[in-house]
Amino acid sequence: MIGLLLLLFLFPLGFTLYNSIHDDGQFTLKGYRALVSSTLLLRVVSTTFQISIIASLVSLLLGYPIALHLSRQSPRKRAFYLMLVLLPFWTSILVKSFAFTVILGEHGIINSALVWSFGPDATIPMLFNRVGVIVGMVNYLLPFMVFPILASLLAQNPAIAQAAEIMGAGRLRILLSVTIPLTMPGAVAGLLMTLTLSLGMYITPALLGGRRDMMIANLIDFYTRQTLDWNLASTIAVLLLALSTGLAMLLFRVRQAEGSF
Amino acid sequence: MPRLKARQDHLRISSFFAWLGYFFLVVPSLVVIPISFSTSSEIAVFPHRLSLHLYREFFHSSNWWPTTVQSFRVATLATVLALIVATPAAYALVRYEVRGKRLIHLVFLSPLFTPVVVIGLGSYLYFAYLGIGGTTLVLVFAHAVMISPFVLIAIMAGLRHIDPTLETAAMLMGASRWMIFGRVVLPQIVPALAAGALLGFLVSFDEVVIAYFVTSPVSQTLPVKMYSAIQWEISPVIAAVSTLLTASSLVISLAISLLQKPAWKAND
Repeated sequence: MIGLLLLLFLFPLGFTLYNSIHDDGQFTLKGYRALVSSTLLLRVVSTTFQISIIASLVSLLLGYPIALHLSRQSPRKRAFYLMLVLLPFWTSILVKSFAFTVILGEHGIINSALVWSFGPDATIPMLFNRVGVIVGMVNYLLPFMVFPILASLLAQNPAIAQAAEIMGAGRLRILLSVTIPLTMPGAVAGLLMTLTLSLGMYITPALLGGRRDMMIANLIDFYTRQTLDWNLASTIAVLLLALSTGLAMLLFRVRQAEGSF
Repeated sequence: MPRLKARQDHLRISSFFAWLGYFFLVVPSLVVIPISFSTSSEIAVFPHRLSLHLYREFFHSSNWWPTTVQSFRVATLATVLALIVATPAAYALVRYEVRGKRLIHLVFLSPLFTPVVVIGLGSYLYFAYLGIGGTTLVLVFAHAVMISPFVLIAIMAGLRHIDPTLETAAMLMGASRWMIFGRVVLPQIVPALAAGALLGFLVSFDEVVIAYFVTSPVSQTLPVKMYSAIQWEISPVIAAVSTLLTASSLVISLAISLLQKPAWKAND
C-alpha cells in the first residue's frame, strides 16, 4: 500500500530527471552544460554554499551552549527549557520570517531603538541582505543542532567525567578535554543535518534576503515561473537532490557509527 | 580559591550564552502577539489600545478565511491518506524480518531528506503532464508523500512498545492475520496513531513551498496566501494569522508530547 504512495513520490522525481535531459521531447544535455558554464548559476551555487556553511557554523556556536545547559538540568527543569526550543521548532517558518521583518526592518524594533538612543543616522541595514538571511536561517536551524548534541551529551557515561575529576582535572578541563570531544559525533550529525536543510532553503532567502542572496531553491522557482525553462529548472533540482542525498548518506554513516540508527 | 572561581566563571559564561540562545529562539514566535491586538492599519509593536479588529478582519475577509478552510481540507485528507498507507508499513517493518529491511526503511524515510523544492517542482511538472495540475488532489498527494515519514516514525515507536505475545496468543486461538491486526494491534496503538496524525496534520498545514508550486489561485492554502502577503502587502492581519498559527502549533505539539508520554515511561 505504501508502494502506491512511493510511486507518487518516485514518479515526479523520475519525471524531473527525465526533464533534465529532455527539452520539448528532444534529448539534450544543454541543462548540464549550463550547470558548468552559466555565471548566474555558478554565482547562486557559491552563494548557497557560503550562506549554508556560515549559518550551520553559527548554529553550532549558539546551539552547543544550549545543549550543554539542557544536559545539566534536572529532568523536570529540562522539560521546561526544552519547551523553549520546541516552541520555535513548531512555529511556522512564515510566522518567524514575518517576525524578523518586524524586528530587523528599516523601521523595525532594533533600528527604532538605535535611532531613539543614538539619533536618526544610527540605523543598521539588517533586512533584505545577507545578515537577514543568516539570522533567519540560524533561528530555523538551531533546534536541529541542539537535539543531536543534547542526545550525545546525555548518552555520556558520567563515570568518565568522575574519573577525570578524581585524577584532579578541573571542571573547565573536564569540559574541554572529556565532554566536548565525546560529543563530536553529535556535533557532526548536527552540522550535516543543518547543512542539508540549508542547501534547500527557499522561504528565508526569499523573504529576508536581497537580490544577491538568491539560493538554489529560489533559482529553481525563477526558472520554473519566470522564464518557463523547465529543462534548466529540472537540471538544477537534480543537482540539489544529489547534494542533499550525499549529505544525508554521510549523516546516516555518522549515526550508524554511533549506533543510534 | 582561584580554581573554584574559574569554574564558576565558565559555568556562568556558558549559561549566559544558553540564555541568549533561548531568547533568540523564542522572541520571533512571541513578538507577533502584541502586534496582533493593535487597532491601526499599521504595524505597531506596542499598540496604545488593544482590540480584536485584526482578528475580525481575518475571519470575515474573503481572501483569508477560504484559504484557511482549504488548508484544513488538504491537511485532513493528506493525513488520512498517510495513515492508511503508513500503518501497515510500520507494522511490517517492526514485526517481520524481510530481506533488505534497512534499505526499505531508508526508502520510506527518503521524502524526509528530499528538499521540499524538489518535491514541489517534480509534483508540479508530473501532474501538469498528467493533466490534473493545479487541483487540490495534487497537493493532497504531494503532502501525503511528504508527511508519511513522520507518521511512519510515530507509529513504529508505538508498535515497539506493545507486547508481541498478545498477537501470538490471538494467532494460537485461531484469529486471522487481519483480525489480529484490526482487533489486537490497532486498539493498542491508538495513542501512537493519534500522535502521528497530529504531527502529519501540523506539518501539512504549515507547509508552504510545495503548496506554492502546485496550487493555482483557486486552490491556494493559508501558508501560500501568507507568503505572498508578507512579500507584497505587509498588512497587520498577518500578525493575527501568525498568533493563531503559533497558538495552534503550541496546542498540537503539547498534545503530541502528552500522547507519546506513556511510550517514554515504558522505556525507563
